Amino acid sequence: MSKESQIEFLPKNPAFSFRRTLAIAFKTINQFRRDRRTLVLLTIVPVITMLVFGLALGGEVNNVPIVVENNDLLYSGFNLGNNITSVLENDSRVNIDFTTTYTEGIDFVENGKFYASILIPANFSQNLVHMLAFGNVTPSFYIYIDATKPTVRASVLGAIREAVEESIGEKGINLVQTLAHEGAEFTGLDVGIPAIIAFELIFLLVIVGVITVTREKIQGTQDRLYATPLRSSERLLGYVIGLLLIATIMVTVILIFGIFVFGAKVRGNAFLLIFAALLFGLAHVFMSVFLANFAQNELQAIQFAPLTAIPSMALGGLLIPVVGLPLWLQPFSYIIPLTYGINLFEGIMLKGWGFKELWLDFTVVAGMCLIFFVLAVISVKNRMRD
Amino acid sequence: MAVENEYAIETQDLVKIYKTGKVKAVDGLNLKIRKGEIYALIGANGSGKTTSINMITGALFPTSGTIKVLDQEIPKNRRLITNYIGVAPQDYSIYFDLSLEENVRFFSRLYGMKKAEYEPRCKELMKILRLEEKRKALTKNLSGGMKRRTSIACALIHSPKIVFFDEATVGVDPVLRTFFWEYFRSLKEKGVTLVITSHVMDEAEKADRIGLMRAGKMIAEGSPEELKKQHNAETIEEIFIKLSEGVVVDE
Repeated sequence: MSKESQIEFLPKNPAFSFRRTLAIAFKTINQFRRDRRTLVLLTIVPVITMLVFGLALGGEVNNVPIVVENNDLLYSGFNLGNNITSVLENDSRVNIDFTTTYTEGIDFVENGKFYASILIPANFSQNLVHMLAFGNVTPSFYIYIDATKPTVRASVLGAIREAVEESIGEKGINLVQTLAHEGAEFTGLDVGIPAIIAFELIFLLVIVGVITVTREKIQGTQDRLYATPLRSSERLLGYVIGLLLIATIMVTVILIFGIFVFGAKVRGNAFLLIFAALLFGLAHVFMSVFLANFAQNELQAIQFAPLTAIPSMALGGLLIPVVGLPLWLQPFSYIIPLTYGINLFEGIMLKGWGFKELWLDFTVVAGMCLIFFVLAVISVKNRMRD
Repeated sequence: MAVENEYAIETQDLVKIYKTGKVKAVDGLNLKIRKGEIYALIGANGSGKTTSINMITGALFPTSGTIKVLDQEIPKNRRLITNYIGVAPQDYSIYFDLSLEENVRFFSRLYGMKKAEYEPRCKELMKILRLEEKRKALTKNLSGGMKRRTSIACALIHSPKIVFFDEATVGVDPVLRTFFWEYFRSLKEKGVTLVITSHVMDEAEKADRIGLMRAGKMIAEGSPEELKKQHNAETIEEIFIKLSEGVVVDE
């Protein structure tokens, strides 16, 4: 220890250096700047996906939760409201709550707990009988429906139409539809875009992220980095800044395409949307640094993209809303980040929701960030020990 | 000049067993490398040279044993010495998708060097290592020898006190190899301690002292002359073969 004075140990190594962090960030960006073809591919692919998914997102889903308030009264021996509800009850496309009122149901549709609230008025059977006898009235019932998901809406309306036809055999019923979320109504293409953005963020960041980290291993630069003053936290943060910058540019391109070419709508706050994208992206950057641990070369690294993307796609609500999945599968949906990502992007873009409605999704995504951050730090540190 | 009994690097009973595979990659290594000497760690591939270097630089945690670099305990105090050591690992260990200059600048930033410090130093290194013309070129387009020199430039940018060259002269043509050794000598004259590993035995002749490694163990150590006299041999290779008889290599 006496010889310590021979070399002056300058306080040259601050506990955290933003300079070193930025060095990593710049390097990461520079590396990808050189690899433009990959970046262009990664940007063009989502645009094509958007189109394909948007057009293909038709069809119907099952188990859509709806509220039905049946006030119909017996008239000349008929209670057609009861007939309709009993048919609806057996329809697998909808999952009915009879205990909630129509007005309560409207609030639930607005906050996303239910997708439709239906009111069969007291005079429904009476009007129907009158229509059949005199043709002077048209029986109506009221539907307050979330039209931001065409597949869900198609299921609900399909189930109702069939129930009416089956129980009455008549088509002359007036369905008074009120669209939730201030009348927001979307086609498959509109709806595809938020989900595709969420999905694409995952795909993109996992590929780009895992490759960045794996490259250090392949090129042998990792060993060199361990011998420099660079700390693992700085390294991690450097990757994050670099990768998020790349991601931001690409998300912007995707959004511009979505909005100006495909006419997607952003009803909510654009800044909240960007914040959501960054937070969601952050979780995946950390995740990819952690995953990179298990890849020995770039070929293996790329496999992590489908490995994370496909379960996310199947369970995260990209193709089928989570409520439409078999019950035993649903718990898995809630551990997949994409589920919350889609909630955030759809909430902000389609429904015009703000932080008030989405705080839970924000919290969960932030929590996932923290978990993957811890895993990433542990994995970066652990590599020195094996 | 090398200073007697003043050590830049000391290891005691250093052992490394990798989690994967139960083989002792390094098996009780006792190293004493003097300040300002050129020390050559010689051994076949898999003899534990790189593992030893990685432990000494703090990149890898030892299974047991102690390491001291510049009187600092490694890995505990590894952060204190990072500015004083430079490593040119066995693979080129540079970013192939960055230009030569970008690589060197990146590492200078990790050492906290300011532009005013970096620029003259980079110029100097480019000149010495004869890289000036290619400084803007992507390193993936450079020849093997140039990649090697880029790697060396990255290791030296912060003017370290101890430099590790892991297989620095592998695949390098004889002219360039001679040049490397001249340059190593010039670094030594400036008081830099050099640790060079190689699996080429005759490389060792040019070092001040040699450590012969086999299966994670040191089998002989000393200056080339001492060793040759001691073992009554003409070349280092001969000594190596003599000493290797009877040592079972556990691959």
